[in-house]
Amino acid sequence: MASQNPVKQKEVVEIEKELSFGPIHPALLEPYRIRLFVNDEYVEDCELTVNVAYRGIEKLFEGLPIERALVIAEKVCGICSNVHAFNAVRVIEGGLNIEVPTRASYIRVLVHEIQRMTSHLLFFGHAFEVLGHETFAMRSFLLRETFMDLMAYIGGNRVMASVPIIGGIRPRADLTEPLKKTILSRLDEFEDKYTDYVNRIMADPMVMSRLTGVGLLSKDEAIKWYATGPTGRASGWDFDLRRDMKEYKPFDFKVIVLNEGDNKARVVARALEIFESIKIMRQVVKNLPEGPVVNRQWIAGKMDYTIAYIETYRGELMHSYGLDEHGLIRNYKIRTPTITNLAAMEQACIGDHVTDAMVTIASCDPCLTCCTRAEVVEKGRSRVMTDQEVVRNYGWRH
Amino acid sequence: MSLKARSRRNAIHAMLFYSGGCNGCDIEVANALLSPRYDLEQYKVLFTWNPREADVLIVSGIIAWQLLEPLKKIYSMIPNPKAVVAIGSCPINGNVYKNLVGDIGVNEDIFAPLDNIIPVDVKVPGCPPRPEDILEGVVKGVPKLVEAP
Repeated sequence: MASQNPVKQKEVVEIEKELSFGPIHPALLEPYRIRLFVNDEYVEDCELTVNVAYRGIEKLFEGLPIERALVIAEKVCGICSNVHAFNAVRVIEGGLNIEVPTRASYIRVLVHEIQRMTSHLLFFGHAFEVLGHETFAMRSFLLRETFMDLMAYIGGNRVMASVPIIGGIRPRADLTEPLKKTILSRLDEFEDKYTDYVNRIMADPMVMSRLTGVGLLSKDEAIKWYATGPTGRASGWDFDLRRDMKEYKPFDFKVIVLNEGDNKARVVARALEIFESIKIMRQVVKNLPEGPVVNRQWIAGKMDYTIAYIETYRGELMHSYGLDEHGLIRNYKIRTPTITNLAAMEQACIGDHVTDAMVTIASCDPCLTCCTRAEVVEKGRSRVMTDQEVVRNYGWRH
Repeated sequence: MSLKARSRRNAIHAMLFYSGGCNGCDIEVANALLSPRYDLEQYKVLFTWNPREADVLIVSGIIAWQLLEPLKKIYSMIPNPKAVVAIGSCPINGNVYKNLVGDIGVNEDIFAPLDNIIPVDVKVPGCPPRPEDILEGVVKGVPKLVEAP
């Protein structure tokens, strides 16, 4: 792997000034540290340090019974909580061949897409807050409440809905007829308001001039630095795991691929993805089959090390673990999308004015809370792996 | 109401300190403080990032070892009188990350009960708490500030 993609040593450039932000800084919602190396107000190099909130969460899974572990899996991240629970059950379902009823699979997709909306709308809130346009940020937060409400109606909690369980979904999260009507009417209402919102953003010359042509990440660079998800697709990298997932087979949707690779493309890619998500959600609710929602006919036994990939809101997510003969978890490993996007974020900042660096990083949708896990013990001293190292060693599958 | 209390009541600033955890509470706090639906500014509590300006410190998340010293420093920089609000289960007991019932023992990387580090005035449990509860929690801390000598 390392020999195929050698990371070139950069030439030594004299740096005029170093600007460092964080860990607790007004522009950062999460604790991380940014070092910008600036020459004549233009960014020469950028470094993100993300080791500030280490929790040791992968270790907590070790030796737990599988059902108890899934509660922890959801708490890896508070923005994309559902997808961690979803992918954790997909591992054991693939490894032990547990059948999932079609109705359960449909509702899982529905909740997955609802959370995609909340995540993308939070992205708009964060990006426009950083950009300095507070009205758009507040409008985005207001639009987001529709989907926070739907999560609460379906799962009982606004953030941690814990809908997927092994073999199906929690029976409490089953869709009733009134709930179906509520979802459809809320979606219609949302689509009108959201179309206005997006048109308003695209017609705003100030916002567009801040975004257009800034933070360029070419297709080659995106592939080289393993950008995934909308960040990679906005650079022309045509790949979406949802095309291959069996859960998404019954639904008809488009994958948004843009070729510009600047901040505007990354914002627009997510804005257009929301329309596709609405389409999928309507299809789920209209074509929902009847039947049971959970299959309890399974026993946790010995399972080999199994890997599951899923397309989340920021990119690709990997969960993998094995079970021993008593059904206890061994070797839990998570790779969140931000780990692979970090290097792309650093790369996209280079060459722009220093005032645009924060916007560029925000436009790649960082979620650094869930990627702070990798800690290496070397000769008795522990250190946190750099992102290049993570990408090189664990970054990509073959 | 004295003049001091009246003027204090009109300028209460809250600061958010995120100390690990999963980001869920963090975003709910941002929702409660900033978003148009649950607007904390209607109770004259404003949002700030400057500890020297703040009166209420909102702490969310487990306290990771990297953020222990910054937390103490930020707490000491806030002028008296001050109130501390712990949001979510994490600063109250460590939630799942503390691993209180697990087989491999208590997680020693995190310094979870916030009481052990700084005095806490209001606790808002939940994983994550609803924004209404967060509003109530922050507003509960206000009388302490207003009535202080």
